[in-house]
Amino acid sequence: MGRIVLNNVTKSFGETQVIPPLDLTIEDGEFAVFVGPSGCGKSTLLRMIAGLEDLTSGDIEIDGENVTETPPSKRGLAMVFQSYALYPHMSVRKNIGFPLRMEGLDQAEIDKKVEAAAQSLNLMDYLDRKPAALSGGQRQRVAIGRAIVRNPSAFLFDEPLSNLDAALRVGMRLEISEMHERMKTTMIYVTHDQVEAMTMADKIVVLQAGVIEQVGSPLELYHKPRNVFVAGFIGSPKMNIFSGPAAEALGAHTVGIRPEHTDVSMTEGTWKGTVGVAEHLGSDTFIHVHDTGLADMVTVRISGDISVKHGDTIYLTPQADQLHKFDAQGMRVE
Amino acid sequence: MSDRKLPRLLQTPAVLLLLVWMLVPLGMTLYFSFIRYVLNNLRRPEWTSPSLSNWRGFGNYEFVLNSKDFVLAIQNSLFIVVSILFLTVILGVLIAVLINKAFPGQGIVRVLLISPFFVMPAVNAVLWINMILDPVLGLQGIAVNGINDVLDNLRTMPVLGGFFSLWPEFEPISFRATQTSAIAVIMMVTWQWTPFAVLIFMTSLQSEDQQQKEAAVLDGASVWSQFRFLTLPHLGRPIAIVVMIQAIFHLSLYAEIEIVSRGNGNKNLPYLIGEFANNNIGAASATGIFAVILANIVAIFLLRMVGKTLME
Repeated sequence: MGRIVLNNVTKSFGETQVIPPLDLTIEDGEFAVFVGPSGCGKSTLLRMIAGLEDLTSGDIEIDGENVTETPPSKRGLAMVFQSYALYPHMSVRKNIGFPLRMEGLDQAEIDKKVEAAAQSLNLMDYLDRKPAALSGGQRQRVAIGRAIVRNPSAFLFDEPLSNLDAALRVGMRLEISEMHERMKTTMIYVTHDQVEAMTMADKIVVLQAGVIEQVGSPLELYHKPRNVFVAGFIGSPKMNIFSGPAAEALGAHTVGIRPEHTDVSMTEGTWKGTVGVAEHLGSDTFIHVHDTGLADMVTVRISGDISVKHGDTIYLTPQADQLHKFDAQGMRVE
Repeated sequence: MSDRKLPRLLQTPAVLLLLVWMLVPLGMTLYFSFIRYVLNNLRRPEWTSPSLSNWRGFGNYEFVLNSKDFVLAIQNSLFIVVSILFLTVILGVLIAVLINKAFPGQGIVRVLLISPFFVMPAVNAVLWINMILDPVLGLQGIAVNGINDVLDNLRTMPVLGGFFSLWPEFEPISFRATQTSAIAVIMMVTWQWTPFAVLIFMTSLQSEDQQQKEAAVLDGASVWSQFRFLTLPHLGRPIAIVVMIQAIFHLSLYAEIEIVSRGNGNKNLPYLIGEFANNNIGAASATGIFAVILANIVAIFLLRMVGKTLME
């Protein structure tokens, strides 16, 4: 229940095509994350699946049924919005029960389902409050509750954690992941945060300018980025990417090496540079190295602590088996 | 000088001015309402200047309460105000929702919609009563004549003519008559003040959260349900404001009533005051005090209502 297939889907606003022809399959029960920089069309794509935006061409299937012309409420999908989109004049109870009320269920059944959802989301104490009297995290929970009671074939999340503070975001991330494990329902999750994508997804869809750059599991994307864009987008801190003589010496047009795959020495190594800022996190140290001749700045990540200070000379050696090589078109070469 | 005294001192002029502004007229009205005070009386010339020696106690109030027009004036005041509020709010919401969606010519339509509000009340009344509602020369008379002409022609038809000859001849309605002049006032003021409601509701609609609407669409809410459960609650506050402002304005309607019927069978409290004030200042003042009491009763209800919506 909840296999979503996009066939040759396009979207244009007037003359501008924001999504060129695109094919994508999301398997039943899968947690798919659309990730990309802002303006890449990921939200538009989600809204097209939800039915809030019309398709310019192509079609969408849910469980083998063509739903391209089906109105949003009949697609069996539930959506959680970035702004929560709670109904401000209704109590939490009424908010969660609203879709059931629209379905025409009787009051006793609505109450039962609302309370079950509230129970699972720890909202029992807030049922009679208005959304304005809730914190950001609680509002998000109410929005999720409103989605759960509909028992949808797939959940759509549109950047649901962007309005929360960092600590809460980590907590909610876990909760949504756990919810997915428990319910085994298809989920499509849109975010610009690659950490959310890496931690939650079964399948990541990297988008840029409406084009799918790569589809794969988080580790696939990490270890085998298909092109320079994906390589630079996935992973934190960002992969160091450079071209020119240093890259040619390694036999490629462009070469990328992740900060955590670079060895550091104070005495000898492949590349020589000067230490800029060193960020000591305790568990890790990020060193920003300048004057290497590779790129403006090369970031290295070292497990544990190392005593370097600004202006020190440092030598970097890439782990040969972790080098990512790309051709002149930016595509991966093995 | 302590910390509190200086701000108090600096506020004093404003507070004093407001007190004088409000209390002097109110005090004078109260004073006049308890004495005999007329502008012209040949038999009792001493009544033509205000003086405590002309004390009448509650005599003016009794006189006003017993005058044949008083109950009518109160009823009419409330009837006119409540009808206008009801119509402007409903029409205002409907029109605002209608023109909220983008369409070509939206700017012009909005300007045209606002324009009745710029017409002076007296001009508005003259236009309506003479050019639109007049049973002979107004649009109403012309339209009724036209319908009757059409009916006359239909009656001459071979078969269906018999059916149409069962229809009565339509008669234009005179809106200057006792029974209908209040309705004429309600129509013209509604026409003039609906734009005000539209304007306020329109700005409020534009601040409505679109994602809430989308969420409602996904939740399976029909267009009507979206209006009922999202738009209408969203408009609660502006509706309260429109009702309050309009109630204040329409309790003191005067020009329209003067022009439509010269108060013939259609007085409200301000008009009654005006009539008394032609000569009997004492009675006019007593009526004024009644008007203050009525306005306060209305205000208490309205403030409760507004307060409730603002609390939510």
